[in-house]
Amino acid sequence: MAKENIIAFSQAHAEPEWLQVRRQTAFDKISELKLPLIQRVKLDRWNFGNNDITESLDSSNVPDFTNLGENPKLIQVGTTTVFQQLSPDLANKGVIFTDFYSALEEIPEIVEQYFGTALPFDEDKLTAYHTAYFNSAAVLYVPDNVEVNVPVEGLFYQDSDEAVPFNKHVLIIVGKHAKLSYLERFESLGKDNVKNTANIAVEVIALEGAQVKFSAIDRLGSNLTTFISRRGRLNKNAQIDWNLGVMNEGNVVADFDSDLVGEGSHAELKAVAISSGKQIQGIDTRVTNYAPHSIGHILQHGVILEAGTLTFNGIGHIIRGAKGADAQQESRVLMLSDKARSDANPILLIDENDVTAGHAASIGQVDPEDMYYLMSRGLDQDTAERLVVRGFLGAVIGEIPVKAVRQEMIDVIESKLDKR
Amino acid sequence: MSTLEIKDLYVRVEEKEILKGVNLTINTNEIHAIMGPNGTGKSTLSAAIMGNPNFEVTQGEILLDGINVLELEVDERARLGLFLAMQYPSEIAGITNAEFMRAAMNAGREEDDKIGVMDFLKKLDSKMDLLNMDEAMAERYLNEGFSGGEKKRNEILQLLMLEPKFAILDEIDSGLDIDALKVVSKGVNAIRGENFGALIITHYQRLLNYITPDVVHVMMEGRVVMTGGPELAARLETEGYHGIAKDLGIEYKEEA
Repeated sequence: MAKENIIAFSQAHAEPEWLQVRRQTAFDKISELKLPLIQRVKLDRWNFGNNDITESLDSSNVPDFTNLGENPKLIQVGTTTVFQQLSPDLANKGVIFTDFYSALEEIPEIVEQYFGTALPFDEDKLTAYHTAYFNSAAVLYVPDNVEVNVPVEGLFYQDSDEAVPFNKHVLIIVGKHAKLSYLERFESLGKDNVKNTANIAVEVIALEGAQVKFSAIDRLGSNLTTFISRRGRLNKNAQIDWNLGVMNEGNVVADFDSDLVGEGSHAELKAVAISSGKQIQGIDTRVTNYAPHSIGHILQHGVILEAGTLTFNGIGHIIRGAKGADAQQESRVLMLSDKARSDANPILLIDENDVTAGHAASIGQVDPEDMYYLMSRGLDQDTAERLVVRGFLGAVIGEIPVKAVRQEMIDVIESKLDKR
Repeated sequence: MSTLEIKDLYVRVEEKEILKGVNLTINTNEIHAIMGPNGTGKSTLSAAIMGNPNFEVTQGEILLDGINVLELEVDERARLGLFLAMQYPSEIAGITNAEFMRAAMNAGREEDDKIGVMDFLKKLDSKMDLLNMDEAMAERYLNEGFSGGEKKRNEILQLLMLEPKFAILDEIDSGLDIDALKVVSKGVNAIRGENFGALIITHYQRLLNYITPDVVHVMMEGRVVMTGGPELAARLETEGYHGIAKDLGIEYKEEA
């Protein structure tokens, strides 16, 4: 029955043959594939989907459309695209930022060529599930040599009052020597009263010499159980700077991976996270150096409030033959409560001799000496603690390309601190 | 006029009694220097006044205009007008110097009394100028990666911005070259006046060539053993602590 629903969904959307086949093959593989291995997270106890491929009705929860700014933007609520804007200049240069089915009409070959290349559909049970069941998607394409000098924003809202699963796919292709700054937001709207699941996949394909700045703030609701995978595939001399704010309210497993397949490619990943309430968030960040002289750096900072759980895995993997590769990582967690639970787990896998690699990890509480110093200038304990937290998470906040969003990030942190 | 009184103060650190009955009174418009050999409790005194949680006061009082500050938290003491320029200030990443100082200046102020951005920047500029500090220091993270000299200067900058009633300068001269010493002294002399008093803790007389104290105290064995004018510092410079120890019948052995 589930497979029939998938076929019906494909046909209703007149999906091309290759995609229909892909979905069905993926469906058949779900049962035989294993869950991804994410250290210190018991994935088999999580439910990321109930074999459901439905679509949103018109939502009564609409985002605020005032002060949207002029920059390129795509807004989806649930599976529905509600707003898109792109300047004529960028459109003339061939930039595409639209929903999946429009992209399949406008650039069918490109979508077919790259869809599922960063994140193969048969990698594990969850990618297969995602490929079979994704019910909405967006495509951002920047042609070769095009520089997009304004931040491009993708806003993907989950309607927390509907039972439609949030299985979103975002495909980003940045052409040779092209340049992109992209800001992505996953956020729940509504009253947060329907229990639901999400399986999100974001693929970023950076072709030779592409420069990508990828920023994201995730603020999914407390009733949504989420698996989110962001995967970059970097060709020769390409660079992706990831700046990711994991600020969800619910239980989330996030897998942030960069595959450095091109010589001299470079991934810089900075992630910050806050867990609060009884929430569990597991963040698994991997950079794999396949190519010589590739560089992969990971910096993760997290704060835990109340009885929250936060796990950071940092995986630096250097494949044999990747001479001159560099893999560095640092994961730090600050616990602001005795009930907080945390893991910071550095993993270096090195199969080549001629490389540089390093790691650092720590879990601790706010340094009493720091508090004494700040308070000796008249700041009360609460204000001093907030300053330390904000400073601790500042690494990513400063990198967010839109000022209003930087402020929003600070506000989110403040509101989480207020709530405890 | 404000007064800071320390009465019969006994302080312990990790079960060891360091201060054994310190008595001291400082008024605004006065600069006091405390000198003494290593390990006599000078820094312990400063930590106890500010309320460092690692130090336990077992006896005595510290009164600021009659209010017993020992009953107050660290931040309450600061808002009452006490300031400690620390020997080893913390490095706090992610918070800029300017942001921190503005938060500190606004701490405890009513909403309609907060210092505005323009007024703040104007004051910051003029004080940084006075201390020959590079403008960029304001936007650097609080003490992070600062050299020893930069940290000391930054402590004095905070002093000038916050304008406390009483400042304790804990070995502000240690590790400073002569130029930096002059700059730091210039900062302290700039705030000298009828609404300000200071307690300068130092090993060496050198600093007192630039900041002339009104009163000099000598601390040994956890107590103030002698009090005098600036000439006492000069005597120490020539005789060392030996002479005084001998006069007072205190056993004193110079460190090798």
